[in-house]
Amino acid sequence: MEPSTIIETVAGARYDHVIDLEKVRAAHRALASVQTIREADGNAAAAYASLQMWRAILFAGFPITPSTKWLETVSAVVRSGKVGAKQIKLLEAEHAVADYMAGAAAACRDLIVSTATSSVGLDHMTESTRSLGASGLGNVMLINVYRATANYPLCIEGDPSDTLAHRDDGWIQVACRGVQQIYDTILQLPCLGMHPEIMTPTMPGYYGIKDSHRSARLVMEADTAIHTFQDRWIGPAQLPGLINGDTAFGNCVTSNFFQGFKINQRERLERVFDILPEIGRDFARTFGRPGLEVVERACWPDDDAIDLAIVGMGPDVGTAAALAETESARHGLRIGVLAARLLTPFPDATYRQLLRKAKGVLVLNQAHHFGTGHLTLDITNACYTLETRPAVISCFAGMGGATVSDDTWRQMIAHACATIAKGEKLPPPIVVHEGVVLWPN
Amino acid sequence: MAKLVDVLQRDSCFQPGSTLCAGCMESIAFQNIGKLTDNGRKTIFALGTFCGEVSTLQYPNPVAWGRGEETPDDWTKSFGIMHHVFESAPSVAEGIADTAQQLFEIGALSQQVQVCSLSGDGGALSIGLRTLLHTIARGTSLTIFVLINEIFANTGFQYSPTTSLGSETSTTPVSELLPGNMTPPIDYLGLAVTAGAQRVVQASPAHPKFFNRMVEQGLSGSGTTIIFVPSPCITGWKYPDGETVHLAQLACETGFFPCYAKERGRPGELKFVELDATKRPPIEAFLGLQRRFQHLVRFNKATGTYDIRPGQEESVARIRDWIQHRLEQLQRLA
Repeated sequence: MEPSTIIETVAGARYDHVIDLEKVRAAHRALASVQTIREADGNAAAAYASLQMWRAILFAGFPITPSTKWLETVSAVVRSGKVGAKQIKLLEAEHAVADYMAGAAAACRDLIVSTATSSVGLDHMTESTRSLGASGLGNVMLINVYRATANYPLCIEGDPSDTLAHRDDGWIQVACRGVQQIYDTILQLPCLGMHPEIMTPTMPGYYGIKDSHRSARLVMEADTAIHTFQDRWIGPAQLPGLINGDTAFGNCVTSNFFQGFKINQRERLERVFDILPEIGRDFARTFGRPGLEVVERACWPDDDAIDLAIVGMGPDVGTAAALAETESARHGLRIGVLAARLLTPFPDATYRQLLRKAKGVLVLNQAHHFGTGHLTLDITNACYTLETRPAVISCFAGMGGATVSDDTWRQMIAHACATIAKGEKLPPPIVVHEGVVLWPN
Repeated sequence: MAKLVDVLQRDSCFQPGSTLCAGCMESIAFQNIGKLTDNGRKTIFALGTFCGEVSTLQYPNPVAWGRGEETPDDWTKSFGIMHHVFESAPSVAEGIADTAQQLFEIGALSQQVQVCSLSGDGGALSIGLRTLLHTIARGTSLTIFVLINEIFANTGFQYSPTTSLGSETSTTPVSELLPGNMTPPIDYLGLAVTAGAQRVVQASPAHPKFFNRMVEQGLSGSGTTIIFVPSPCITGWKYPDGETVHLAQLACETGFFPCYAKERGRPGELKFVELDATKRPPIEAFLGLQRRFQHLVRFNKATGTYDIRPGQEESVARIRDWIQHRLEQLQRLA
């Protein structure tokens, strides 16, 4: 070993040369040596992306529907030896997975540690995810395959109530729709989480069953191209890890200092608004596909000139986008569709800008909520300071992973148009299924 | 094994500055473990929440961990520590150890590191029993320390699954109906053996040579070593400070906390305690020093010994029987 250079940092001393990252890079074996097109479902796409990163040498997991195939795929590829010296740790429960990842990520901040889980699996991790959210360990990635969270009655299909119940865990949460977007998002998020101004763990998410189990065409990039892209954003960690540092993680503090830590955490999280789009633009330039955005304009004019905005998340937004033109003609209103990407931190300013000309906003909530809906609350808040505040029309559909059919969308759009016509600003939410208003009845 | 006098000269990774009670056994254990880990290998600790953790890591009070006042020039003397939630220490330590091992096998790390997990009995044997046993079963090279003070100390001395029979705690108060705790302590040594630990040890710094030897074996060996450290608690057990080491020795000699060592596949060995009850000091000598048992025994000025309070014979006999049963059980563990 070369003699170490000791760098003093705010988090203790870092001993350079103790860990030779070039050896880690050299130990990686490519899953794809050239750009490859294949069929994959969402879980497989997420697994391939996780495996193609040279910094990812250790995975952890515990199976839970509908995320299990991520674990099976990672396990099969790692055990085949195709991707070089990587290991997978199968633990006894999700809580142990989260604890294990905390230790692994803190041991070496330059490595990426990932897992996938769903529903009660994420809930079981909660004690640890809240610590991780504030830990500064942006090298942790938890892929959340959405599924109705712990509830009676049990439901194993995909709605985002699990991820939405964890908005305050302190992670960067990004929603995806479609196999390609899942793959691309997972390749980009470590660049964001490990950015020295952010250092916050990331939680990409996608709908269970609807996206996790639906196969589609996937463009897999060559591992070398991925590494070149990621290396532009991920440099050697500035702060020490447990192995290369004289350092401590997770100290207790008195109340006087607690608030300062939380403000610092918030400031780091808010840097996401600036840095996420930069990473997305670089990704788009590099690979020719859309990169990360805080909001996806699924069907949206450049001048933001719409009357009714539809805001939702996940694959059902695609149905709305497909119906936008015919429904615009039917109701005589210009209809635009936005797909939420960045859930936490919530990009209020971006929505405020996009919705400034709208007469109404139809918000689709797919997770049960005793109020007006998780997403509705955020959109209402974002619009609050607009000079002309649009009506916010809250709809629930697709709960428990139910299909949001064309008829359901038409019913919700008709309800939104009627609300705009009546001049109501915040009508009570409705629950719709297969074109029928279930509640209020 | 290093000579005791040499170990004493080493740099401990446990420094002044903790808010542990003066004379706390946890502090004595940390000091000893801290010196024993100064052995030419980089040391990393994972701590679950317990009183030994919250009393040593509270910013901006002096943080008691670290080897020396200044950053060591030598990386192997540097120290990493991670605090995480109650039950997590073994899993966190496993994540650290696996990462280091993986880097070592790739050739990215030229020297192996030593990883220790530290928990209280509440964290390890109550809320964290599942993760403790599974970590042991997976056999990662780790040294797991569990400090046993029989109570949830940092929440105010409540019952834990290791609480002795008859002990008064905040949640098992003595009443006219019940003489303290009525639930036998969990057989943590037996559980650790059954889970497949490479080494299962119960050792106290009150027996320093044995303690040091066991810790050194754990640090230098492969597989999982688990060391249970009986930790008399001045405040929770309610005894005068200055009696900690004496009480820890009595705890062993009376059979409450026998020193014990077992290598996987070989018979276990009881240390500093007789299997024959008639050759052991009476348990009243141990009970009498602590006010948590004052409802069971009282000091006899005439004889200078502790006697069973009238009406409590059955409760004390139950404790005595449990001790004997447990010692015989440990002796039989293959």
